[in-house]
Amino acid sequence: MPSDRLTLRQEHDLVIGAEAGDADASRKLVEAFLPAIVGVAAHFSTAVRVERQELVQEGVAGLLFAARRYDTGLETPFWAYASFWVRKSMQELVAELARPVALSDRAVRGLALLGRARSEYLQAHGSEPTDGELSRATGLTRTQIESLQATQLRPRALEEPLGGAAEAVATVGDTIVDPVAEREYEQVLDEIEIDEVRDLADELDARERRVLRAHYGLGEPVQTLSQIGGRLGLTAERARQIEVGALQKLRERMSQAAPVRANV
Amino acid sequence: MEMSSEDLGRHGALLYESQDAYVEFAVPFLKEGLELGEGAIVAHTRPGLAMMREALGSDAAHVTFVDVSSAYTRPARTLASYHQVWVEQLGKSPSLRAVADVQFGLDPAEWDLWTAYEAVFNRSFEHLPAWVVCTYNTNGTPDPIIDGVWRTHPDVHAGDAWHTSDRFEDPDELLGELTSEPRPLSGLRSIGFGRDLEEFRDGLARVLAAEKVSDAAVLDMLLAATEIAENAIEHGGGVADVRVGHADGRFVCEVVDRGEGFDDPAAGYLAPRPGVGRGLWVARQLTWRLEFFAAPDGFTARIWL
Repeated sequence: MPSDRLTLRQEHDLVIGAEAGDADASRKLVEAFLPAIVGVAAHFSTAVRVERQELVQEGVAGLLFAARRYDTGLETPFWAYASFWVRKSMQELVAELARPVALSDRAVRGLALLGRARSEYLQAHGSEPTDGELSRATGLTRTQIESLQATQLRPRALEEPLGGAAEAVATVGDTIVDPVAEREYEQVLDEIEIDEVRDLADELDARERRVLRAHYGLGEPVQTLSQIGGRLGLTAERARQIEVGALQKLRERMSQAAPVRANV
Repeated sequence: MEMSSEDLGRHGALLYESQDAYVEFAVPFLKEGLELGEGAIVAHTRPGLAMMREALGSDAAHVTFVDVSSAYTRPARTLASYHQVWVEQLGKSPSLRAVADVQFGLDPAEWDLWTAYEAVFNRSFEHLPAWVVCTYNTNGTPDPIIDGVWRTHPDVHAGDAWHTSDRFEDPDELLGELTSEPRPLSGLRSIGFGRDLEEFRDGLARVLAAEKVSDAAVLDMLLAATEIAENAIEHGGGVADVRVGHADGRFVCEVVDRGEGFDDPAAGYLAPRPGVGRGLWVARQLTWRLEFFAAPDGFTARIWL
């Protein structure tokens, strides 16, 4: 089992919490499975330019997607289920980045100019030119040279052996430490929290949110409508009307019918 | 452009073996619709959308692209997501065409659930001037999933031609067949209904707080349970009892009514329209699962959070 820090019950509780939008449960679930996600990323075969952090971030998104879909009533262990979606998320990122990048005519001419200057330098000096020497030879700025060179880089694959095939005891992926990935998943989770707040804010105004939160104890102690009304300078009946209106607004938002025209 | 009643809610499938085959079908299909004044929608993963943007060229500017990478979570939520897209599109054009790449997983335990989703898709949008083609990459897709495509789509495009599926099954019957029977749950306790919906919500809110259900889920349950109880009052002769507890790690609430009940596997899966109640549609979106069954003490709606 990839997460030896959780019992089956704890794992299911976190999955259910994450599915329900509980950010704390999402965070703990990701923490528990981060090593497994990093493991998938580390053994991911890719010939395109993709950062390992990006792969891990996609993997975290894949894990949280799996949590929203996973049925804890089924017998499949969570990681056995989720690993497919983690891998699929990473594959989609790679497929997206692998699409051909069209270079402008100007960039193509710049690359040709750089190539000629490099060959001439090699012939004349028997060694690779520095960026400064290429800049002097071509008239391009260093920034322009770095940008053009970046389009030609073949990234090192994560599973590429270190020190050559003969001494392949570790891979690049194995040597990358976790803190980088930790920051990445923190970022993903921060975005989730922002989304939740925005979702509620989009639907209701501030007063409606205050009434619902207070009456149903969402993040604060439960209060009666009289108490809520007192705090807001309203009667209990007015607070009740605001609550009913807010619930109706949420219902309407979720059950909007498609406009179907009369001539159809 | 007028559509005939035969064109309402057209639901087909494309079986493709390569990206080229997908593009060769999808691009002319959508372009034809655009020429007829219809809206055009591509629903796919990000790489699929990038591929179609490129293939559609200048027509891409008139097409709506929808990333479905994380849309296929629960059938009711997926249907609701698509419905929102149809709502927006039909506000701009009299009809629409869509190609939607279905995100089946590889766990056999959930194949029936998503085949049931495809079955009810026929009913969910049957009233809309929409021609939706669900697309399936057959490479590596297990046979039972492909078999399900033929059972749930009246027309299937395969091998460069449309075929009328002779294996297509009545959506309601298939949905009923694929939906597992609710099992008895022990350990639920009665909390009563109270005098009205507001008392019911207050009582349920206290239980949810005591059970430490996350804030994010409390409002979902209150809204869903209100819809179910309102339905019981309006159509089921009133609420006889309310039971709550836990099963499979989830909070469960049962609402028992005094009526005859109903046997409709598509209940809550039909997109809002005149003559179709919205309560169960809303409740299904907000919860993990809804079950309806006849219990010894009355017709019961079970809500899984």
